[in-house]
Formats: sequence, C-alpha cells, structure tokens
Amino acid sequence: MAKTLEVVGQVCPFPLVEAKKVIDEIQSGEELIINFDCTQATESIPRWAAENGHAVTNYEAVGEAEWTITVKKK
Amino acid sequence: MMQMLITGLICGALLGFVMQRGRFCLTGGFRDMYIAKDNRMFYALLIAIAVQSVGVYILIQTGLIQFTAGAFPWVAVIIGSFIFGIGIVLAGGCATGTWYRAGEGLIGSWIALFGYMFMSAVMKSGFLLPVNQAMQATQLPNNSIAETTGISVWVFIAILVVIVAAIVMRELRKPKVVIPSLKPKRKGLGHLLFEKRWHPFFTAVLIGVIAISAWPLSQATGRMAGLGITTPSANILQYSVTGDVSLINWGVFLVLGIFLGSFIAAKASREFRFRMPDTKTGINSFLGGNLMGFGASLAGGCSIGNGLVMTAMMTWQGWVSLIFIILGTWTASYFVFIRPGKSNAASAAITS
Repeated sequence: MAKTLEVVGQVCPFPLVEAKKVIDEIQSGEELIINFDCTQATESIPRWAAENGHAVTNYEAVGEAEWTITVKKK
Repeated sequence: MMQMLITGLICGALLGFVMQRGRFCLTGGFRDMYIAKDNRMFYALLIAIAVQSVGVYILIQTGLIQFTAGAFPWVAVIIGSFIFGIGIVLAGGCATGTWYRAGEGLIGSWIALFGYMFMSAVMKSGFLLPVNQAMQATQLPNNSIAETTGISVWVFIAILVVIVAAIVMRELRKPKVVIPSLKPKRKGLGHLLFEKRWHPFFTAVLIGVIAISAWPLSQATGRMAGLGITTPSANILQYSVTGDVSLINWGVFLVLGIFLGSFIAAKASREFRFRMPDTKTGINSFLGGNLMGFGASLAGGCSIGNGLVMTAMMTWQGWVSLIFIILGTWTASYFVFIRPGKSNAASAAITS
C-alpha cells in the first residue's frame, strides 16, 4: 500500500525536506503519495524525483493551488 | 503622478508575473546552494546581473540616465546583509519573494510583509534611526569598483559577461534529466504563459531586461534609481500613518505592481488560494520579516536592491552585500534545515 505524506499548509522547502525523510523509510518499488500546496514545490519535488531516479507515476493539480504527486522509489 | 502610477505599476506587474511563473526565488536559490548543492538559481541571478549591467551602462554612456555610486558604508552593509540573509530564510522568501508570494495568497507572506514594512519604517524614520545612522557613519569614500581601482567599468562588466557565458554553456551542455510535468490542459499562448515551466536562465534574462527598463522609467518621474524594494515598502507604511504625499514615488507603484502581477499570474495559472500558515510558520514569518526590514535598511538594499541592482552597477556595496546575504542564508539554513535533520537521524540511530 502506498504511503501518503500530507504537507498541505507547509511552505517550501519543507514539503521536499519531509519527502526526503519519508522516502528513506519505504522500500524500493513502493509508492509515496505527496499532497502539497506550496507552488515552488511543483518544480522542486518532480526535479528531485527525476534527479534521484525515482519514477513519478501520478502528478496532477487537484484544485486551485493544490497538487498531488506519486513517487515510486527507485 | 499619473505617469509614475502607470509605468511603476506596469514595470512591477511584469516583474511579479515573471517571478511567479519563473519560480524565481533567491532565498530558495541561496539556500539550495548549501543544502542541496544546487547553484542553478545563483547562476540565474548572475545572468540577470550581467544583462542589466550591460544595458544600464549603455544607457549611462549615452547619457539617458544618471548614476552616482556614492560612499560605501561597509560595516552597515556587512552586518545588515547578514541579518537580512537570516531573515529571508525564516520568512520563506526575500523581500521581492515575499511581495510576490503575498500575491499568491499566502497569509504567512502577508505577515512577513507587514513585519518587513514595519521594521524598515522604524529604521528609516522611527526610533531606530539613530542606530541606523551611527552604523552608516563608518564609510569608505568610494563605492564604485571602477573608481577605487582606476580601471574602466567596462573591464569588470566584460569579465562578468565572460564568466556568465562560460557558466551558461557548461550548464546547458550537461545531460538533461526529464522532469515530470503536469498534464497540459491548455494550448498555445495560454500553455506557454500559465502552464509550461520556464527555464530559470530564460526567466533571468527577462528579469535583467525589466531591471534595465526600471532605470529610465523611474528616472523620468524624478526617482534616480532602478529597481528597489525596501524603501518603497517602508514608504507605503510611512504614508499610511502620516498621509505625507511626498512619500509616494515610482518605487511604491513598483512594489504594488509586483503584488498585482503575481496575483494575475497565480490566478490565471490556478495557483492562487488564501493559505493560512500554522502557528510556527506564522511566528517565523513575523520574525523573519522584521529581520529583513532591519537588515535591508542597514545594508541599503535587499537581495534585489543590492544583490541584483548594485551588483550590476559594479559597486562594492552590491557584491559585498550579495556575499553576506548568502552567508546569512546558509547560517539560518543550518539551524532551520540541517541541524534538526541531524538530531532526528541521531535519535533514530539510538532507537534502532
């Protein structure tokens, strides 16, 4: 089952700081769903995932200034 | 009045729009140099400085605008810039960043903005004015690097342009990682303006051009400067409580324009929403805003006034300030991001 990280309300760079912590706790191939509303993270989270080789299996805007992204650990 | 209202608002709105869409965040950029070993945003800033430097010195050479560097209050610049650097990490954005994030609906940035305006006014005309003046009193006579060294300013500009060109070529040659993006919902211009991610270097060139245009536009209304954020932000608060119309200048409309432009960009991109911070973020924003106001007033500029504009003018104040803003950012980043992570890791190691 995918783990969910709720960081709505947190300002950058905390969503990414939290995501880095949680990704260390899950197994390779497991998915992490990150729900966030910090605009700058729309750039920093997918960039971090790509640069570290994690696959992004879902990425969408769920509302005004609210996003969800699913990262599958390498 | 009408002219400064229109050109100031337009220049500010363009800047706010470009910064919001380009995710141009200097605080994040300086912080990531340290915590993520990522220099991209710093390089982007250098590009914006180089573009502006060439453009503005051409305007000076042709006599279209005037610039005097004045003296260099080095003690105030060093201490102020360092404190400003700490403040922007706590506030989650530099002065301009805070203005444009306020336009995205972040209440935390509204709080930071208030603290920033308040402390800037206190430093410029309030009870801390004597402190500010005392620290400004230690000066070196020449602020202009060209005057101190006796070498033409064009030599320094050429060196900067060569360095920046080398960095850009090196960065663009790096193998690209494909960064996952949101599914496009629009086409054509709407997609380019409101969805597509902008390359930071492209954003930087636009910011450089806007910074050049600020000089003649501002000087046409009698304000002999380029982009500036701190004094105008203080002016808004001073005008609000005194009603003194002489405090209203081109810069006031510039900063209001940043807010407006960012709001338009965020709203059209579906990125605007009022967002309330939690208590801790709210307190940090207020503290950070006050430190920003204190530091920027002391240093005679923020990351835009000193870091983008006075650097382009090839002054000691600009480059020394930029270095100490970055050092302040790193110092605060250590305490806010690095150390908490370390103590977590240590306690985790103990429990396992």
